[in-house]
Amino acid sequence: MSSRRAITASIAGAAVFAIVATGCSASAGGSDDGKITLSVTTFGTMGVDANYTKYMEENPNIVIEATNLEGGGAARDDAYAKIAAGTGLSDVVAIEEGWLGTIQEVSGSFVDLRDYGIEDVADEWLDWKYKQGTDADGRVIGAGLDIGPQGLCYRGDLFEAAGLPSERTEVAEYFGGDDATWERFYEVGAEYVAASDKAFYHSPRFFWNSFVNQQEEGYYKSDGETLNIEGNDVLKDQLALVVEAENAGLGAGLPGWDVGPQAKAGDYATYMCPSWMLGIVQGYYDEGTTDSGWDFADVLPGGAANWGGAFLGVSESSEHKEEAAALALWLAAPAQQAASFELAGPFPSTIEGQALVADSTNEFFNNAPVGEIFRARSEGVIAQVKGPEDSNIQDNVFGPVFDRIGQGEITDGDVAWDEAMVLLDQLVG
Amino acid sequence: MSSTSTITTPSPTSPSRKPTRARSDLTFKQKLSHFDHKASPFLYIAPFFILFALIGIFPIAYTLNVSLYDWHLLKGQGDWVGLANYTSVLSDPFFWNAFGNTVSIFLLSAVPQLLFATVIAALLDQALRAKTFWRMSILLPYIVAPVAVAVIFAQVFNQYTGPVAGLLNLFGLEPIRWAFDVLPSHIAIASMVNWRWTGYNALILLAAMQAIPRDVYESAALDGANKVRRFWAITVPMIRPTMIFVVITSTIGGLQIFTEPKLFDGRTNGGGGRQFQTIVLYLYELAFPRRDFGRAAATAWILFLIIILAGLANYAIARAIRTNDIKPVKIPAAKRPYVTRSINGGRK
Repeated sequence: MSSRRAITASIAGAAVFAIVATGCSASAGGSDDGKITLSVTTFGTMGVDANYTKYMEENPNIVIEATNLEGGGAARDDAYAKIAAGTGLSDVVAIEEGWLGTIQEVSGSFVDLRDYGIEDVADEWLDWKYKQGTDADGRVIGAGLDIGPQGLCYRGDLFEAAGLPSERTEVAEYFGGDDATWERFYEVGAEYVAASDKAFYHSPRFFWNSFVNQQEEGYYKSDGETLNIEGNDVLKDQLALVVEAENAGLGAGLPGWDVGPQAKAGDYATYMCPSWMLGIVQGYYDEGTTDSGWDFADVLPGGAANWGGAFLGVSESSEHKEEAAALALWLAAPAQQAASFELAGPFPSTIEGQALVADSTNEFFNNAPVGEIFRARSEGVIAQVKGPEDSNIQDNVFGPVFDRIGQGEITDGDVAWDEAMVLLDQLVG
Repeated sequence: MSSTSTITTPSPTSPSRKPTRARSDLTFKQKLSHFDHKASPFLYIAPFFILFALIGIFPIAYTLNVSLYDWHLLKGQGDWVGLANYTSVLSDPFFWNAFGNTVSIFLLSAVPQLLFATVIAALLDQALRAKTFWRMSILLPYIVAPVAVAVIFAQVFNQYTGPVAGLLNLFGLEPIRWAFDVLPSHIAIASMVNWRWTGYNALILLAAMQAIPRDVYESAALDGANKVRRFWAITVPMIRPTMIFVVITSTIGGLQIFTEPKLFDGRTNGGGGRQFQTIVLYLYELAFPRRDFGRAAATAWILFLIIILAGLANYAIARAIRTNDIKPVKIPAAKRPYVTRSINGGRK
């Protein structure tokens, strides 16, 4: 009996070790029946998923295992944690422009796509987009997916009810067309508020981001290292303008994201729309909705600018780098970029991709010719240089200040600016 | 076990033999049995200690190591900085903000939770129909994943569209800015904690109540003590050790709170203005979005020390209560005979 117990004990011990051991082994790239499983992590509404089925049909030996995270912030934290751990990154990882700079500090975590033939197709991309995906040593770690030219999403029905022009070319003209300014934008907003007794926009945040992206140098100087905030009167004046607009009741005091119910209730009438935002606004409604009243105008106060855009990278820890790189390059190729655009709205970063969607219209946005509008909105636009703390500054330095402005707790531009500077000092300084 | 006695006791027929020699004469089976006697207890407990060393001691020690360096999440180890990470965390107003939030959420959750848990346990300790059903029911919230709880409660407490907002509106009350104002957000988060843990703690307290000998109650009842009096004079003092255990575990859990405030507003780390950023969320923000692994590790150690201090404080308070309590037990002389009699059972 005693010896039986000893054996039982050692079996129990061994079992525990076995559990520990198997728990640690990575379950990468299963290959039953000779198939290769490739994992892909994306975020938000990138529309990349429009292409998976086709790829698996064309490449029967590949199984795509896709994960889509809710927001860019979640994707960023996820990627950071896995790079730090040295394991766990998907084979193909979507990277956002805002934190691409940080990834490039450790670009060794991603393969050099030149080894997999990206140079042969390099001239398909807009020049600056291709360069953004290239690190300081010339390694290309990201294949460009979309760019973020911006137009104005607006509610045609609400505009009409408020006595404003509602047809999209008239709207663009009313805001000033090519010479649209932020002052004019807030002026129109005040007209709308006076006529409708409703807010003009949900939160001042996105309009601010848009403004920052319009500047030649944003939160950082163009070297990508020196901060460009303290003593920056352009930003400070704009902040004062935002506070003034809020004081006049233009904002609905809502959070930046997840404001679908309020959209349906008509609580606000405009939304800042970089290409990838179309899918987000559309996502506030049931699939197939076409009578929401949303429309899309070819105008951006302050002039054309890029906001955001994503890349696909292939992780160095991938067990099937070759297959993963082939998939990433295929997903970022013009035809697939066009398909993603049709599904969710992110505008192609390849010249051919843009040509493919030139005639594209969007049913949700009152059949707006989105392909044509985004092409016009992206003309001559070059993305601003981002620094390592760019997304941190956007979310945690100015973000809380805009929350407080939106809630009517800050009603003075100088106070708002000082508060941002305190946060900047604590978080970055 | 029976075989072991033959090993240690020398055979009576050969008293001159030393035990050591006797051992060498043992058969293989006897040796194995001896080994079993000596070693198997250690084998039984070994898995725990090996696991504990692997997933407990090692990370704690490694974190200490990380906290002494300038350590970038992605770029890895930098220069040795000694205690600089600790001083910079302790002088960071955001840390103290997180500390205050954590204590506030802890108090808002632990106090009502323990009160309710005790009352629920006392009710379940009564003669009820379908006892098991009621006991299982109060444990139901516990088996729901905390992530799901947080997601649901974030909807419930949505400032604009949640049912709570609807109720307030129905009664013509001002909307409460659940995710924006400090105290309301703490109340919302504490309610998630309470929802999840009250039943669990009630079951533990119920187990303690069930262990109280029934005849103590009977004696008290014979003395004319009503239910409330019996609860305060018997139940509460006799579940005190378990109560201390529950208080300590909920202190540790409360100081480490993360999931609920993280998911209350998933896009931020504890609210746009850090209204409900707890210490672990502060740590998370340092480690991931801000990529300062050294300071995050220092925060982890500071939290570890805070928890130890809180545990010691709990222990000291518990001891103080226990010593104070000896008197009230001695004083009511009328009670003693009953207690003694009940201990003697039917032999009076």
